[in-house]
Amino acid sequence: MIPRSFGHILGNKKRNRAKTMLDQSQSLADTLPKLLLGYYKKFGHSKVALREKTRGIWVKYTWADYYSIVRHLATAFLELGIHKYEKVAIIGETKPHVYWYELAALACGGQVLGIFPDSSPSEMKYFLSHSESTFVVCQGQEQVDKILKIKDECPYLKRVIYWELKGMWSYEHPLLITMDEMIKIGKKCVEKDPDLFEKMIKGTKADDAAIFLYSSGTKDLPKAAVHSHWGILKLVDMLDRIVSARETDQTVSFLPLALIGEQLLNLAYSLFKGFTVNFPERHETVRENIREVGPHFIFLSPSLWEAFIKTIRVKIENAGFLRRFCFETALKVGYRIGDARMLGKKADLLMRLVNILSDKVVFRPLRDRLGFSRTRTGIVFGATVNSDVIRYFHAIGVPLLQAYGSVESPIITIHSKNLIKPGSSGQALRGSELKISEEGEILIKSPFLFQEYYKDPEETVKVIKEGWYYTGDYGRINEDGQLIVIDRMDALQQIKGDKRFSPQYSEIRLRSSPYIKNCVVLGHVERDYASAIINIDYDSVGRWAEANGIAYATFTDLRQNQGVISLLKKEIETVNKYLCESAVIKKFIILHKEFDPDEGELTRDHKLRRDFVRDKYDNLVEALFGNEEKIDFTTSISYQDGTKAELKSLLSINRI
Amino acid sequence: MKSNQDQSTNSVLASLEKISLSFGGIDVLIDVSMNIFRGELLALIGPNGAGKTSLINCISGFYKPKSGHVFLNSLDISALGPVKRAKLGISRTFQNIELYSGLSVLDNLMAARQNFMTYGIIAAGIFFGKARRQEIRNREVIEDIIDLLELEAIRKTVVEDLPYGFRKRVDLGRALSSEPGLLLLDEPMAGMNSEEKEDMARFILDVKELWGTSMMIIEHDMGVVMDISDRIFVLNYGRRISEGTPEEVKNDPEVIRAYLGE
Repeated sequence: MIPRSFGHILGNKKRNRAKTMLDQSQSLADTLPKLLLGYYKKFGHSKVALREKTRGIWVKYTWADYYSIVRHLATAFLELGIHKYEKVAIIGETKPHVYWYELAALACGGQVLGIFPDSSPSEMKYFLSHSESTFVVCQGQEQVDKILKIKDECPYLKRVIYWELKGMWSYEHPLLITMDEMIKIGKKCVEKDPDLFEKMIKGTKADDAAIFLYSSGTKDLPKAAVHSHWGILKLVDMLDRIVSARETDQTVSFLPLALIGEQLLNLAYSLFKGFTVNFPERHETVRENIREVGPHFIFLSPSLWEAFIKTIRVKIENAGFLRRFCFETALKVGYRIGDARMLGKKADLLMRLVNILSDKVVFRPLRDRLGFSRTRTGIVFGATVNSDVIRYFHAIGVPLLQAYGSVESPIITIHSKNLIKPGSSGQALRGSELKISEEGEILIKSPFLFQEYYKDPEETVKVIKEGWYYTGDYGRINEDGQLIVIDRMDALQQIKGDKRFSPQYSEIRLRSSPYIKNCVVLGHVERDYASAIINIDYDSVGRWAEANGIAYATFTDLRQNQGVISLLKKEIETVNKYLCESAVIKKFIILHKEFDPDEGELTRDHKLRRDFVRDKYDNLVEALFGNEEKIDFTTSISYQDGTKAELKSLLSINRI
Repeated sequence: MKSNQDQSTNSVLASLEKISLSFGGIDVLIDVSMNIFRGELLALIGPNGAGKTSLINCISGFYKPKSGHVFLNSLDISALGPVKRAKLGISRTFQNIELYSGLSVLDNLMAARQNFMTYGIIAAGIFFGKARRQEIRNREVIEDIIDLLELEAIRKTVVEDLPYGFRKRVDLGRALSSEPGLLLLDEPMAGMNSEEKEDMARFILDVKELWGTSMMIIEHDMGVVMDISDRIFVLNYGRRISEGTPEEVKNDPEVIRAYLGE
């Protein structure tokens, strides 16, 4: 068995004074609240734990502040009647408040689930009633309104807490309570019994369930994978052996708590390692704020990494000849250097010398612009990431690793430094074992798997057999022991002649075009080609149209323009070169709208719900595999407030 | 805020007494009298050319009426110019956005706080003592406005680079910067799409709820007017033709005639 001590946070011998302050039991910090207590005793007010930009200023919270807020919230939770094993749902953009509430709930022996802040009321109702949540923590008015709408259908609900007062001044409801009120209650409790909180923390157990991670539900209703403190912390420990973050590091956190990555790589990892987490002011200011922070370690979703590259491309395309020439030359050299570094080798001397110059002139200013000038490790979380993205960042000097996991097993594989093969997702973490079943399914046996699906033992038994977790992903292992994930087992598309291909692979390639925002690639059993439904990127296609003298007034104009269609044809032809014969795309439609989570086409974490899309646009799909040139198409649109409207459009079917 | 409004609904913040205004031989306003109560949102409506903007100009001091009086807190301010009235707490937005287009959003808002800057040029230069304290205080107020109007992402953007909807929002922010007791909004939603209008309506209601600011708003979108205003005042050809709650005004035959031209 792997030892359960996380006493390393106390291991710094130079801090003798801090060490003597700690009593013996503290060295066994095996739950998240215990880690918080440990850092509080170690650093107190001497080190910043969280930093949030608000009202234009970065506001600091030291470990002592962090501890004190969590202490007040946790005791207030007790006063409000929380019981052990009760669930607390947190709905909001990621702010320090989210961390405080999560730790407060965990200290009470509760369990925490994150819900995407833009979820619809009915989605929230599902999560709250399925998890039997008793407390809901909301960011502000938007979420509170949704909860109040569904409160009667959530029988377990005891209190609705919120922290942003904006717009809430005249709300009066017995369920509602603000964070400030909770802090007040907490202060009274702490006065009465100053040792209570520490006792509560000591009562938390490593094996207790701590975190619920809901699957994104691409096929059916989301399932909740339950993780214990121990599982999460052990995973972070293993991860740290690859990433090796430092206590003095800075990271940026803004992805929703409902994502595994956020729970693991920011919240749990920061408590494990003691680095500082920074929270941007608003979603729109994330990039600016990343630049202000200059993170040492950052994790982003594939689409965000891709967005960075698209921005660079667009800027370079609009730059003057000289700048463009410098950049392109530097990038060529950068690729040579990056490709060698990814495998832990050195490029030849000449290249290295040229790169010294190009790094100074091009890449260092570029990294500074992006906010990556101090970044030692970037992580992209996803099963299938376009290998060009990873190569690109290595070329410009940002070491990017890919991690692959699911809510059931948050990290299955990760690249280790010096062994980064683009296209693969890296190796299994130490202590876990990987194999491929006869059908090609990826299986993993590891000590940090989820405990169970909440309230669904049948499903649990279905995916865990003899200790192996069946991921449902199709893949293979290459000669270096690195995993190559191809697609979901059930997403593989069949074409005429019983051939199969992975649509995801094509989609990722297509999405790397600056003009394609999203797409779905489909096959048909009676046809020997694939087809695509495409969402064009309005901004970049618009810019392209302006540069090429194409006039347009609306999105519809742009989408129907012959020039735009031939531009996309060219983009698809380029992608086709990389695809195997059975996956070649021969027809495509430019859709009149973008795929949207509000309409169920994407999950809240923006994964494509392929089956849903195929059903929703079944007549389009039929036309794509038929002989029509054009199709009249009527769709109903649902707005965020629930109203519906009908939209008629003429879509042309384009051949390549 | 709520209780504040309850106690003071009956107290008059500003009132106009028999205001008449004419340009040459054209009578723009004829004997208009009205009360603006504390903490209320009063909508001023009427067909084109009814004299709505002229009325706002009379209150803010841009126009001097031919006859009649303007009172603020029972004080006759008819003789005061626009700058003095602004110092007394009257602030307005403009139909055609009046901002420094070469300055950033932040600088525009800070400039609007000049009433709260009492230090001299030397103190400002060395940025010490009073100048520093006031500057920090001013920035705090501005940051509250930025937070309320969700301007964080464009704080440092130059105004001329902003799309129209944002400029309108910044113009509202500018008017709020002087912490007015009476805010006059001249078509704050003109030319906006429905989503932008919805945002603007939310901001206006937030301002009213949070700071209890009394507001007079000119707006042509009747849906918005009926939704957000406490009371409506209707002008036609410079005369008051109706006044009352949205429900009363909606059913007033006089108003219907003015709008539909029966």
